[in-house]
Amino acid sequence: MKDTPLSNCERDFLLKAIEEKKRLDGRQTYDYRKMKITFGTDYGCCFVDLGKTRVMAQVSGELVAPKENRPNEGIMFFNIELSPMASPAFEQGRQSELSVKLNRQLERCLRNSKCIDTESLCVVSGEKVWQIRVDVHMLNHDGNLMDAASIAAITALCHFKRPDVGIQGDEVTVYSPEERDPIPLSIYHMPISVSFSFFQQGTYLLVDPCEREERVMDGLLMIAMNKHREICSIQSSGGIMLLKEQVMRCSKIASVKVSEITELISKALENDKRARKAGGRCGFAESMPQERITALKTDETSVEMTDASERANDIVENAEVPPQTVPSPVVPAPGVGQVGQGLQNTWGLEEEEEDGDEEEEEQKMEEEQDEKEDSREGDVVEISDSEEEEVVILHPETQDKSSKNAASSSNQKGGKTSKQREKK
Amino acid sequence: MMEVCGSTNVSLREFGCEQTLLSRPDGSASFVQGDTSVIAAVYGPAEVKVSKEIYDRATLEVLIQPKVGLPSVRERSQEQCVRETCEASLLLTLHPRSSLTLVLQLIHDDGSRLACFLNAACMALMDAGLPMSCLFCGVTCAINADSEIITDPTAAQEKESRALMTFAIDSKEQRVMMSYTKGSFSVHELQQCIAVSQKASENIFQFYRDSVRRRYSKNL
Amino acid sequence: MAAGFKIAEPLEYHRSFLKENCRPDGRELSEFRTTTLNIGSISTADGSALVKVGNTTVMCGIKVELTNPLVEAPGKGFIVPNVDLPPLCSSRFRPGPPGEQAQAASQFIADVIESSEVIQTEDLCIERGKLCWVLYCDMMCVDYDGNVLDACIIALLAALKNTKLPEVTINKDTGAPEVNLEKRKGLNIRKHPVGASFCVFDDSILIVDPTAEEEGLSTSHLTVVTDEKERLCVVHKPGGTPLSAEKLQECIGRATARQREIQKLVDKVIHSVKTAQ
Repeated sequence: MKDTPLSNCERDFLLKAIEEKKRLDGRQTYDYRKMKITFGTDYGCCFVDLGKTRVMAQVSGELVAPKENRPNEGIMFFNIELSPMASPAFEQGRQSELSVKLNRQLERCLRNSKCIDTESLCVVSGEKVWQIRVDVHMLNHDGNLMDAASIAAITALCHFKRPDVGIQGDEVTVYSPEERDPIPLSIYHMPISVSFSFFQQGTYLLVDPCEREERVMDGLLMIAMNKHREICSIQSSGGIMLLKEQVMRCSKIASVKVSEITELISKALENDKRARKAGGRCGFAESMPQERITALKTDETSVEMTDASERANDIVENAEVPPQTVPSPVVPAPGVGQVGQGLQNTWGLEEEEEDGDEEEEEQKMEEEQDEKEDSREGDVVEISDSEEEEVVILHPETQDKSSKNAASSSNQKGGKTSKQREKK
Repeated sequence: MMEVCGSTNVSLREFGCEQTLLSRPDGSASFVQGDTSVIAAVYGPAEVKVSKEIYDRATLEVLIQPKVGLPSVRERSQEQCVRETCEASLLLTLHPRSSLTLVLQLIHDDGSRLACFLNAACMALMDAGLPMSCLFCGVTCAINADSEIITDPTAAQEKESRALMTFAIDSKEQRVMMSYTKGSFSVHELQQCIAVSQKASENIFQFYRDSVRRRYSKNL
Repeated sequence: MAAGFKIAEPLEYHRSFLKENCRPDGRELSEFRTTTLNIGSISTADGSALVKVGNTTVMCGIKVELTNPLVEAPGKGFIVPNVDLPPLCSSRFRPGPPGEQAQAASQFIADVIESSEVIQTEDLCIERGKLCWVLYCDMMCVDYDGNVLDACIIALLAALKNTKLPEVTINKDTGAPEVNLEKRKGLNIRKHPVGASFCVFDDSILIVDPTAEEEGLSTSHLTVVTDEKERLCVVHKPGGTPLSAEKLQECIGRATARQREIQKLVDKVIHSVKTAQ
């Protein structure tokens, strides 16, 4: 599905508003939208709401063989999934330019900055290490996916706990959370990406662009920084030329934003830790708003099932009992078998059956005409050939009548079967 | 012949649902059954790709997104189940040559996930205001080692069960729209599970009704 | 005239037959097409079978390989089923990666294997935690004319019964497995699952063993898989128009009869090969 294009009126209006230092949602130039961080039921699951933009990150760990050139380091894997849920323009399973860009930036932000101690993820050097996988799902796209994704990813990594492992000789055992407490990852610092959008060839600058603003922007500058004011990655895209002063100014703004966001993250992590310790229920189900009219929650309800058993009995007993006898298959040659059909045929073919092979052959041909394709004919003719021979031998033996009656529910092919069976 | 099934654990976990929680899609809903949670989003009716166009009705696409990794064969088969259930209840002929997309994102799996997918899908379709001939809901029944029927099982209960059945029940005559089973069971057990699911569906439809009533009420 | 009617109004064409309780190919509503089975069709495979249900033709080949079991399940082997619907079998399939129908069919067969316990994966273990068998069961549709699931199950069952595992001994000194291809023994088939597929026409008429045309025109599909003890393994109805529990029961009854019929066919064909040897 295609995205709805932006009309010229909207474009002009947006640009004019930016020139007048006004934003659609009433924010100031350097304002972030309202940010909310919530956690899922299991460890390593984090939701980030940035205004209407919504992102979910899930961290998972698995034991794998390490890379050959780094035998005692764990592996980090990042994947940003542009789910078609977030925007109709995103397509399932296709690597778009945007998804490549976001994935690269996230990797540079979190892997190349060495914010995670990968050596602590080694279990047996050269044999088994943890692979930590971070999946970021976009749920709603309202601009600035990168910032939301980087916040969600690093928060989820901080929240994640991997199962403990024990090594006895060659054997590696993975302990369940009940047996041994899971271990959190060791994280040195938290790089967070901050996006700046530029308009009119860099004349105007906005922090945290929303989707509409992203559509009319000329260029984008993404700075990943930690709270120690160390820049982890910096990337400019969109093909605008920036002055040194502009970059310096942006990095200063970024350092302020990063310290604010880091504080929010640690507060959220602490709150969650406290909630989990208190033994209360936590997760997505609990974070659902109660005070909206679009949301509703009910308690556990019981299901009346007193007459379920009787109902089931009635249905089973009232149903027709399937016939116990089934037609026997024909085996024209070793390794080949054929079974005609199942239930009774009302075409009255049984009488004709006894008339002998010639009519039977006719019946057969008639039936074949019903078949749409000729391809089948080849093998059927072969069967009838072999049958003809057999019937010639069979004729003197008259005792086959009784068995034919036994298989009377079958059609001519079933009848044929019984003849052949007796021959054997 | 008569098999006795215990009826101790026949209850549905607490439900939760929020509609219109995402701004981009035309209809969205989250559905929560105990800890199992799913977000569903619907786009459409919209322009359709020529290769997928059907001349007399809308094309419905269902995508299920797992939490970790890419959709596997299991998701594909569940997509098929959800899609055909939705196709049967939606009046697709009212929107010929157009496309409908339903995206289901698993948030947390704690058992009965296919049922939760179905419930979330139905709520999202309702939120999108698409014309439907009937509503549908999903119910999962598990039969444990003691031949007891457990409705809406948790992941732990699913693991211990010897048979697992998920049904989609329609709101008009409470008949079976979809069935997906695992493990072996007798005819009697199947019929009993269907009867229980039909009963359970009444509770779920009541919940649907309550949430819609709340939505169109003036105050909380 | 009839041909023109069929092309212009395919649904009406079918309805006019169903009104008389029969179908365009002369079958009754609850009648299966002729089912032909040939086993051992592929000499290079470890087990194989060819099944024709009417025009629908499915070939199943089984390849066994040695592998290491998973750490989580040290005492279990693997069964890997795969259903292939190549462009060869029908113009509806395109070349390239497997489409939704092929993937759903593969998952369905995997469900049947798991639910029916036709083979217990424990039987495929050779040495706990070290060595086990993996069975690659490839089902290829050669001609697609509807009801490919039933044909696949029959082909799989017959091919599994036809499969002979070579004897494996583990060399005590080197620890390396030694395969003796001369000495082979059959698999332990514990159950005989057989499927029966149904289609619903106009929300009410049930027909069995649909052709590709009938599948396309119907409003709902249903596949019931039963084993010889009349236990249900899979009741798979991927959506479509609703069915009442009573109608479902009818289908189950028909499926039980079909199971007996097919098991007899498979047993007899296997027997015929044994006696011929």
